[in-house]
Amino acid sequence: MAMSFEEYCQDVFDPKKVFSKPEPLKGYRFLSMTQYILGPSCANYLAELGAEVIKIELPRRGEPMRHTTPFNEPLLYPLSKWLPDKGTGLGFFGANHNEYFLSVDFHKPEGQEIVKMLAAKSDGVAENYRAGTFDRWGIGYRQLSQINPRIIYQWLGGFGGWGPGRKRASYDILGQAQGGCFSVTGWPVKIPGYEGKFPSGLPSKHTIWIMDYWGGMMGAFQMVAALYWRDNVSGVGDFFEYSQVQGAQRHLSDAIALYGRYGLVSQRWGNWDPLLCVHGIIKCGKSSHPGSQFPAEAEEGFCLVSAYTDADYAKLMKAVGRDDLAKKFPTHDDRVKAENQPAMYEALEAWAKDKTKEQVEEFMHKSGINAQRVMNSKEVSTSEHFLQRGNVHFIDDPTFGDVFSQGPVFMASESPPRHKWAFKPVGADNEYILSKLCGFSKSKIKELESQDVI
Amino acid sequence: MAEKPNIPVLPWPAVATPTPDEVYQGESDQKKEYALWLESALRQSENFKKPEALDRIRVLDCTSNMVIGHWCSSLFSEKGAEVIMVEPVGGDPLRKLTPFGRKEYMFKDTHGGAVGARFLTEARSKQSITLNLETAEGRELLKKLAVQADVIIENAPPGDWDAKGIGYRQLSQLNPRLVYCWVGQLGQWGPMKDRPGNLDPTAQAACGFVHGTGAPKSFGGTPTRSGWWMCDQVGGTSAALGIMTALVYREKVSGRGQFIEATAANGVIRILDYNWGWYGMDGSIRPRYGNWDLAINIYAVNPCKDGQIMVGGGHDRLWFRIWKTVGKDQPALEQHIIEDPKLKVVTDRLPHYMQVETYTTLSEWFKDNTRYEAETKLQAEEVASGGVSFFDEVCETPHYKYRGHMEVIDDQNYGPVLIGSSAFLGYRTPGRVKWIGRPTGQDNDDVYRRLLGLTKADMDGLKGKGVI
Repeated sequence: MAMSFEEYCQDVFDPKKVFSKPEPLKGYRFLSMTQYILGPSCANYLAELGAEVIKIELPRRGEPMRHTTPFNEPLLYPLSKWLPDKGTGLGFFGANHNEYFLSVDFHKPEGQEIVKMLAAKSDGVAENYRAGTFDRWGIGYRQLSQINPRIIYQWLGGFGGWGPGRKRASYDILGQAQGGCFSVTGWPVKIPGYEGKFPSGLPSKHTIWIMDYWGGMMGAFQMVAALYWRDNVSGVGDFFEYSQVQGAQRHLSDAIALYGRYGLVSQRWGNWDPLLCVHGIIKCGKSSHPGSQFPAEAEEGFCLVSAYTDADYAKLMKAVGRDDLAKKFPTHDDRVKAENQPAMYEALEAWAKDKTKEQVEEFMHKSGINAQRVMNSKEVSTSEHFLQRGNVHFIDDPTFGDVFSQGPVFMASESPPRHKWAFKPVGADNEYILSKLCGFSKSKIKELESQDVI
Repeated sequence: MAEKPNIPVLPWPAVATPTPDEVYQGESDQKKEYALWLESALRQSENFKKPEALDRIRVLDCTSNMVIGHWCSSLFSEKGAEVIMVEPVGGDPLRKLTPFGRKEYMFKDTHGGAVGARFLTEARSKQSITLNLETAEGRELLKKLAVQADVIIENAPPGDWDAKGIGYRQLSQLNPRLVYCWVGQLGQWGPMKDRPGNLDPTAQAACGFVHGTGAPKSFGGTPTRSGWWMCDQVGGTSAALGIMTALVYREKVSGRGQFIEATAANGVIRILDYNWGWYGMDGSIRPRYGNWDLAINIYAVNPCKDGQIMVGGGHDRLWFRIWKTVGKDQPALEQHIIEDPKLKVVTDRLPHYMQVETYTTLSEWFKDNTRYEAETKLQAEEVASGGVSFFDEVCETPHYKYRGHMEVIDDQNYGPVLIGSSAFLGYRTPGRVKWIGRPTGQDNDDVYRRLLGLTKADMDGLKGKGVI
């Protein structure tokens, strides 16, 4: 074969070529009656795969996530044609790409009629209002499946709609807190003999709304699987309930198994790994940009060092001049013990005291050791690797102009996902969607707008 | 080997699971009607009477050492696909990993082997065969299996399988309908492409996640990794979404498979909300913000009397309910907040100094309340709140037990094992777990006989040569 494997990959996954390829879910239509992140992201993954996703928000102000942005600084204008002086916060990013934006007040009977008309022509619905609310309004699964038996309806939320805690409201970090994520992420509570080895005893929240964004991805997988089953096997739709708290527990299934069999309660272990050693993140004493105005850039760097096999570990300790530690902990069983782990990381941090993270990473790679410096969002945004792969990229957005954004969720050779636009103002597609799918005239749309139905 | 401490372990559940009568006691028929309908539609006890969405799909999971591929194929096995784990002879190295090397906390099988919890819980409902791809004979066997598979997942170093003649370019010639997925940390191509042996948290460190997680330096914090192999979990889910979509596209449109690449870094960059938009707008680098949230106030975990507690409510309705709850105990604190003109509008509450004011005031109330007390008081006002729970608390929470968030699989090989059950609750095609794991190569006989027609003598021969 003439082409090297890497060239072949560059060619078939080239992000510049995605728009010349077909979309995998073209021809499918979904309604996203969602807010915040969990439900919206579920529908968003389908939209980046080429499905026509219609996001339905309350008129004028839209959904709450639009009013969410770091420190209330960065916003994209306008929020809607009714509120041209207000902007959408960047919290809305990442969960609403490629969608059509329709505004409908579900509380009003005319609004509910519109939802029913759209559902009759749709393949699926993602919804995350309080369980039972849509059922009460006559637009839940029980009613919509009467209109359209092929509909795939997924409710996503915190604790689920049945059981003793069914009335509990939830957010992403409640999923993290109650699912057990905090109990294993961050720094251990005081352990005798480990004084001073960990910076604090605090649990740590994941920087992303992980149980939302990842839960939405689980939901999207489930909906595509349901499409497969409907179109190839049964001809009927389905109803799903995804609880983000349950998702958290599903992902920590090993901790549940250890509790169930042995009564063990898994704990936090900071930046080290309970399963592998050496396989942890160490502090490098020198900042890469000591003069920077950004505290996040001026502080010392960190670097993952991974050398857990006997051969790699011996190589690592020789390279940093600590052959004594190579002899002291010759097998992985010796190294991974809780009581032995600190000695190795302390030795590495002492060695890295006068080095930046780049120096540590380069040294390790030259010594044949796996290492990865901890990169901040600027370093990722300007990284040749991630730019070349399209993991971060500029969208020439029809509404907002150049917008820097994350790339699609995976890569595919034949029918790849893509990002066409970041998002649009509230109700931006009212005319398009309502005339195309409901046959409403311009005057009818104007009338609905004046009645605050849309 | 360390001695197992002599702590009596009560069988789960240590406290009885509530009955439906207890759960819905005192509610009117109308009020509980929807919940009871949901329960009848979704109860896992009915799962095995229902069809499986993917029982026509065969997946070969050829990944080892990391969780990303196992996680991906778990989603398929939960939805009913036939998943065959193709392991190196001697088994996936991940089998041997157990926290702090404590072998006494591994899970013994009935044949005398043992496996660590992480591998075991992701081996759910999959078969296990062994195959040595370093041998020419092994690679021939893989080709024969690939012809009969819908999906193949691998995580060898970039280009390794291609060089061995079993990569996408070669297997797609033999089976054009094959969906071939490579999973890894950073990618098969590009300047930082995967190095052999790269494992989570490589992607966590490389994609901005670790840098953004943890407390700011001024609070004594440092960048912090997720306590689980979180990037593998996200990357594995994106791989599953990619494969599933390719299968739908194959059936509906093209009739052909394709090449999918899903990486842990790609997956997490995709979901790192506003990091990139913010940088692109004004060059901001997302800082660490500890257990508070840059974009929502109130939305945080803060210390209370017996640990840490989460409470969230940025928008007016919940914002005022939170302060009403606080005001029942300490009216001055409620007054301090609701009379502050700078805190009246939802977006005005987001700057850092407003967050400091909010959480300082809230902590004045938290410090006199345990997690349970604060949670109970806040939930009386329907505010999203809950204590940071440890696993004994998680596994014993009545709501989760009642809903079957965890279940005991009484496994043929490993005996009763408590696991996190499938999160796919469904009316017609729910996810489910049939068995928990398999000793290495337990299904050699079944798979090689069923799919390739090998005889016992063939297999003995291959075993002798170290091929299987």
